[in-house]
Amino acid sequence: MAAEKTSPGLVEVEKTSPEVSGMGHRMKRKEDSRFLQGRGNYVDDVNLPHMVYGQMVRSPYAHARIKSINTEAAKKLPGVLAIITGEDLAKANLAWMPTLFFDKQMVLATGKVLFQAQEVAFVVAEDRYIAADAAELVEVEYEELPVLVDPYKATDPASPILREDREEKSNHIFHWEVGDKAATDKAFADAAVKSKVHAISQRCHPAPLETCGCVADYNKATERFTIYLTSQAPHAHRTLFALVAGLPEQNIRVVSPDIGGGFGNKVPIYPGYVCAVVASLTLGVPVKWIETRSENLQSTGFARDYHMTAELAADKDGKIKAMRVKTLADHGAFNAAAQPTKFPAGLFSVCTGSYDYPAAFCEVDGVYTNKAPGGIAYRCSFRITEAAYLIERAVDVLALDLKMDPAELRRKNFIQPEKFPYATPLGWTYDSGNYEGALNKALEMVGYKELRKEQEEKRKKGELMGIGISSFTEAVGAGPAHAFDIAGIKMFDSAEIRIHPTGKAICRMGTKSQGQGHETTYAQIVAQELGIPAKDVIIEEGDTDTAPYGLGTYASRSTPTSGAATAMAARKIRDKARKIAAFLLEASEEDLIWEPGKFSVKGAPGKAKTIQEIAFAAYTNIPPGLEAGLEAINYYDPPNLTFPFGTYISVVDIDKGTGEVKVRKFVAVDDCGNVINPMIVEGQIHGGLTEGLAIAFMQEIGYDENGNVSGGTFMDYLVPTAVETPHWDTGLTCTPSPHHPFGAKGVGESPNVGSPAAFVNSVVDALSHLGVKHIDMPITPWKVWNILKDKGLTG
Amino acid sequence: MAKKELIHVKINGKDREAPAEPRLLLVHFIREQLGFTGTHVGCDTSNCGACTVILNGRSVKSCTVFAVQADGGEIMTVEGLPSNGALHPLQEGFKEEHGLQCGFCTPGMLMSSYALLQKNPTPSEEEIRWGISGNLCRCTGYQNIVKAVQYASKKMAQGGK
Amino acid sequence: MAVTIEKTFRVGEPADKVWAILSDPKKVALCVPGAQITEQVDDKTYKGAIKVKVGPSVTDFKGEVQVVRLDEHAHEIEILGKGQDVRGKGSASMKMTGKLRNVDGGTEVVSTSELNVVGILAQMGARVITEVSNIMFEQFVNNFKKQLQSPEEMNAEAAKPISGVGLAFSALKASFSRHDDKSDSSAESDSGKK
Repeated sequence: MAAEKTSPGLVEVEKTSPEVSGMGHRMKRKEDSRFLQGRGNYVDDVNLPHMVYGQMVRSPYAHARIKSINTEAAKKLPGVLAIITGEDLAKANLAWMPTLFFDKQMVLATGKVLFQAQEVAFVVAEDRYIAADAAELVEVEYEELPVLVDPYKATDPASPILREDREEKSNHIFHWEVGDKAATDKAFADAAVKSKVHAISQRCHPAPLETCGCVADYNKATERFTIYLTSQAPHAHRTLFALVAGLPEQNIRVVSPDIGGGFGNKVPIYPGYVCAVVASLTLGVPVKWIETRSENLQSTGFARDYHMTAELAADKDGKIKAMRVKTLADHGAFNAAAQPTKFPAGLFSVCTGSYDYPAAFCEVDGVYTNKAPGGIAYRCSFRITEAAYLIERAVDVLALDLKMDPAELRRKNFIQPEKFPYATPLGWTYDSGNYEGALNKALEMVGYKELRKEQEEKRKKGELMGIGISSFTEAVGAGPAHAFDIAGIKMFDSAEIRIHPTGKAICRMGTKSQGQGHETTYAQIVAQELGIPAKDVIIEEGDTDTAPYGLGTYASRSTPTSGAATAMAARKIRDKARKIAAFLLEASEEDLIWEPGKFSVKGAPGKAKTIQEIAFAAYTNIPPGLEAGLEAINYYDPPNLTFPFGTYISVVDIDKGTGEVKVRKFVAVDDCGNVINPMIVEGQIHGGLTEGLAIAFMQEIGYDENGNVSGGTFMDYLVPTAVETPHWDTGLTCTPSPHHPFGAKGVGESPNVGSPAAFVNSVVDALSHLGVKHIDMPITPWKVWNILKDKGLTG
Repeated sequence: MAKKELIHVKINGKDREAPAEPRLLLVHFIREQLGFTGTHVGCDTSNCGACTVILNGRSVKSCTVFAVQADGGEIMTVEGLPSNGALHPLQEGFKEEHGLQCGFCTPGMLMSSYALLQKNPTPSEEEIRWGISGNLCRCTGYQNIVKAVQYASKKMAQGGK
Repeated sequence: MAVTIEKTFRVGEPADKVWAILSDPKKVALCVPGAQITEQVDDKTYKGAIKVKVGPSVTDFKGEVQVVRLDEHAHEIEILGKGQDVRGKGSASMKMTGKLRNVDGGTEVVSTSELNVVGILAQMGARVITEVSNIMFEQFVNNFKKQLQSPEEMNAEAAKPISGVGLAFSALKASFSRHDDKSDSSAESDSGKK
């Protein structure tokens, strides 16, 4: 699947030979070997001598005062080693811990509980079965309190105040606004057409197949603490453990071994980790804590829960003039959002989308409710999915109001290629884009004109078929130090490359793959930059003792940050290699020409030195004045975010009898600039689209009026199987990022960002002739059937 | 805690025995008592299939079988996929077709695919999708897994076992 | 999680005999599987306990039962029950009304319950709660009829709690099938509503 170059000349990457396997090659993955043979090393596979097991006791109530905790019966059970409660932690000042966003959360409940499944006590026992038995024997007496689950009622005077620990006795967390309110209001006042949509991005959960867990191992003899952790950001976690637990940072080693999927779920620090650390410190043996799936779904980082209203002002020909957005953000009991500190609503202000208009205003209010804390960025840059969903739904509603084709409305409003770098009315500078290129390719791949004809025919027969488009732009690669930090740590990232005498290499990065294929893709970057075959390059991530400091992998940031750092470090090595080559070839540096893998003398191509020969010389024949060795490290501060984009088109048929929506065809055209490994990019797209499908049609973490959570196990929180998942048709265009060392943008999250709107747009499109303008996700058969029943159409 | 019994199994071709209390799940027995950590636990309601192994010739979710039920039986886990020194055609197919990303569902997926191909050596795409519908994957969207199974089916038909 | 359950059943005895049992919470408790009245606080209020097993999950509720309304003339009773699990797994509250009607050959008992469950049990969903309630009600009816026929035997011991495993299987089976079982000849009808 060759990418069509739509903006040639911006950052060209010349393809290397298949033996070198640099960028653009569909190199098979180096990490596959161990996974295929069952030799992966996930946290639950870690088994240390004298290791014991931890198990949480959790609250069944969404809001209640704790009157007493009785651990006597549990302690008597043979094999139980310790039971930790909030009171115990409070003595060490650890009952509360800071969240990633200016709030704190209880590690173990003290005083009261604020959401169902909240952590109340931690039992440690010789094996996990005894730990589970003991947890059942812990008796907790609760006094139920009134429950708040409706975010719209959070600021009602009649609602209970949830956070007694905060100075301000209110359930309102923050108000954030951005944009020009006056200009926007004026544009709306003058507008010929105004359209509005209220869209809910429902609470869902990333549910990676491996749940969260750790093995906390305090070695009394060496005073070193090793924590095997399901962490997408091992260094940040190490620093946070040092700051929060008061442990000297040089004595903490965080090891993220193989991680079975992250999707944002493994970014926060969870109470289970802290309890395991405390238990290990106390008992002096390794403590393993692995949560169950129910615990994962009910208590760890949820995503979304944004209740959004968007208005678009346009002239009668469909030219958008302004956008106005008001959003209510439900953060659960604690604001544990994983967001850069200057952005309480993350990057939500990219909600102006792929369109060119001068005015916008956006406000977001965050509130507390009796639900699990969060929200994290689920396979998206912070709040990008919510933003992309909103604008793409709003544009479709405008198209309906104007009776205009949604593809044409988009085309009319796209930011044109020559306008980049483009400053949006809410403060972002998009690096590059060719939105019409992606749209055209997608329309062609799906056969749009024929589909519209088919739809017309089907409507005459009363059959329901819909086509939905989503032309999204997202912002990834956080981020430039002047604007981005998490808990104070700037969001640069790093790469360290060391070449051995025989010309092979080992590289370590500050990111951490959870399935994205870094062991292969980073090697391909090194291969591209230095001409060393990718198979000769070892990539390591995740051990904070050896890897250079980084902020981890999420928000599609690895390629934009550590990928860039890899290229920059490789170029430093190339600079030294040039000096060594000049010495070996007895030529001046300016007379040397580089091609991947060797330096040759201008005009004398026979006089050349390969990178392997140069590496050998770096240890055996070192030029005077130079240090031995051939290595470099780079900490990359990206000058800007990168802005991948694309157009997705969903085609659905609706069964009138059951309300079931079948995705007949789905075309995804992505543009992530220059591609490292097209095979891996395709795999990412397939996976992300499947997650988007689930969110659009199947998933919700819901709460009833008592705060009981529904969707707390895989019986109710549905993950698509191979049967529900349709075939995905993928395509690429290529608009390189002008500021990235090799023009790449990152792509892992685009499919989750762009697809929910495409799915929803296609279902609404199937029913729009009946007057339907919007349906909230998840669009279950029950929801659709009720709409059909309302319209008198159930077969 | 109830009295432990000594459970005897033949696992991946080797005779092994280890103690198990009556309620010990087979998946824990395999992972902890017998030391084969390739089989994974992904849920607590028997939905995800990450724990799939072959027991007495049939694919089972080992989280929903007690170790004592496997006493005297024969188990194959991903570590025991027949290979003649190289990779099994299924493992080769998953690598060639990029049928895995994080790798967590992969052992279970391989065992279900193995069982499928034993029963139906030339499945259609629909049959493959139904055949692996007991195995959840969050990373791949299944498309390349289907291709991997088709690859293996073709190779095994050509005599590569 | 709020669930409304309406049940109707018939017995061969006259209304007065039925009312004698139905209006006495101590006697009614003897018929509810796993339940017992432990103390009478005043003429309207009682302390009680009920043990409910769903699969391996055991919940021991301890709480209060209050007779809110007792109409001897119209044969109507309204009861409010509230309980908390002793180990802190959740709570439940119930408002139940019972009405008697003379019919050919005996008495018809109509009961409406609004049940609210909070905690672990609630996570199993309204489906399971309704089915568990259905099964408990079936047992209750059988025990109730036995008491009507031979009251001396019932006084001896409280009704045993229903078997956990059996209950779970029945609940699962029932929630999957289009279920219309009429397990004995007396007309029983119900409508389980959410």
